[in-house]
Amino acid sequence: MSEELTPTQEAPSSFFWGNVSALGATAIELVVGARELYSVFVRTLYYVVRGRREKGVLLRQMYEIGNKSVFFLTVTMGALGMILVYQAGLQAARVVPDYQMLGATYLQLLIRDLAASLGSLMLATRVGAGIAAEIGSMVVTEQVDALRMCAADPIDFLIVPRFLASMIMTTVLVIWAGFVAFLAGAATAYFAFDVMPQTFFNARMVTSADFATGFAKCIAYGAAIPIVSGYCGLSTFGGSEGVGWATTRAVVNTSLAIIILNFFISSASFVIFAG
Amino acid sequence: MIAIRGLTKSVPIPNASIRERRFILRDVSFSVPSGCLYGLIGPGAAGKSVVLKMIAGLMKPDAGNVVVDGDDVTELSELKLQSVRLKLGMLFQNNALFDYLTVGDNIAFPLRRLYHLPEDEVQSRVLERLACVSLQGFEDRMPSGLSGGQKKRVGVARATVTKAPIVLYDEPAAGLDPVTSQKIFELLREEQRASGATVIMVSSDLDRLLTVTDRVGMMYRGELIFDGSTEEARASDEPRVRQFVHGLTEGPL
Repeated sequence: MSEELTPTQEAPSSFFWGNVSALGATAIELVVGARELYSVFVRTLYYVVRGRREKGVLLRQMYEIGNKSVFFLTVTMGALGMILVYQAGLQAARVVPDYQMLGATYLQLLIRDLAASLGSLMLATRVGAGIAAEIGSMVVTEQVDALRMCAADPIDFLIVPRFLASMIMTTVLVIWAGFVAFLAGAATAYFAFDVMPQTFFNARMVTSADFATGFAKCIAYGAAIPIVSGYCGLSTFGGSEGVGWATTRAVVNTSLAIIILNFFISSASFVIFAG
Repeated sequence: MIAIRGLTKSVPIPNASIRERRFILRDVSFSVPSGCLYGLIGPGAAGKSVVLKMIAGLMKPDAGNVVVDGDDVTELSELKLQSVRLKLGMLFQNNALFDYLTVGDNIAFPLRRLYHLPEDEVQSRVLERLACVSLQGFEDRMPSGLSGGQKKRVGVARATVTKAPIVLYDEPAAGLDPVTSQKIFELLREEQRASGATVIMVSSDLDRLLTVTDRVGMMYRGELIFDGSTEEARASDEPRVRQFVHGLTEGPL
């Protein structure tokens, strides 16, 4: 005997297909987004070589990305350096109550990973959000269309100067951030665990592989921040709400890109410098 | 000559199934002969600005094509579109002035990017355009310090500074007072007569627009429901055209 379907019985089926459809739409969006992001990256590299530079734009972007981030990065990396050394000291006290190698391991960790990764994550919040908001506002006010009408490809005109400036200034800022974090760590080690600065300033564990890995991360993160946030800005739609979403997407996606790049570069480094 | 054939464009509906789409243009076809001033009219969200952006190659249709002086802009890559855009000037609905550049640099921007002119010629053209839109002495001001009408006039100066043979105006008088609005329309008409350019103008200010156009197209919900001379538009029996052109409150719109 056939049973008549009631709305409650129909619900699971439509709920199931609704979710499948939403999942499919999200997957398609992700694939399309990844393809577009790749296209932005390739076009950026093309215009780095073949593009047309306006006078002073690179310097202005270096100032915006670099100089204006110094205070923020100094404060955050100083605080993080203090917390890291304090926590590491507490852990070390439980396992090997000896602080001789605290500075050496901390310095290696900073050079190999933490200065670049934490510094770039901090930069992503400030610089990535700024780039996405600026380009997103230009999209919703049709300024990007006006650029295209004047044969100025937005990638060449807006993203390439930020790309070059970010790669240079991220490297410079990471070196500065590492220096600040190390000094803050040294002060914490001295006041919390009585580790003398001459003991803490120990570069015995640092190798050229650590420098190479750290440098590769600086370049990769410096490139990722403007590419990802610039893409988020260029794909803005709607009005001010759209700019808000673009900014949020830029911070989330840039942070995600840094973490994913960190995974791949660290893995590659362990494989390449295994010996 | 601009020939538009079967332009169709749809966009996904937010929070709906991926197959559900909303049409913003549906099979739009019309042509604009060289030297013609064509007015594109219609209520809000009819797709008029989208048509202008497709002519400029700023948006791609799902179907159909736009031929500008023999080049199908829907088929061209961004790099190849740049040569077509040398023939185009455009005033955007929101003016789209670069807010980090002065008024003078905004107007000079297309000249510097598209043409390799000596700087003194660029400056003289900028000053000539500023004089045309009655903004002498404004070249060093920033766009943020201008009123809506002044921004619109700077936008007009930038759209016409290259003396392109095809000019697209999206709402050239939106938000302006009647006197400034009339001045802008007269200026655009004079410019068009002097240069012989092909002009497509989108405007909701029908009283003024219909005094300057040679031909008119009316769009409604993404479809072109009328294409004819200005006189034919005024005399049209099509209920939607009649209601819109004569500003009647009773009718199908």
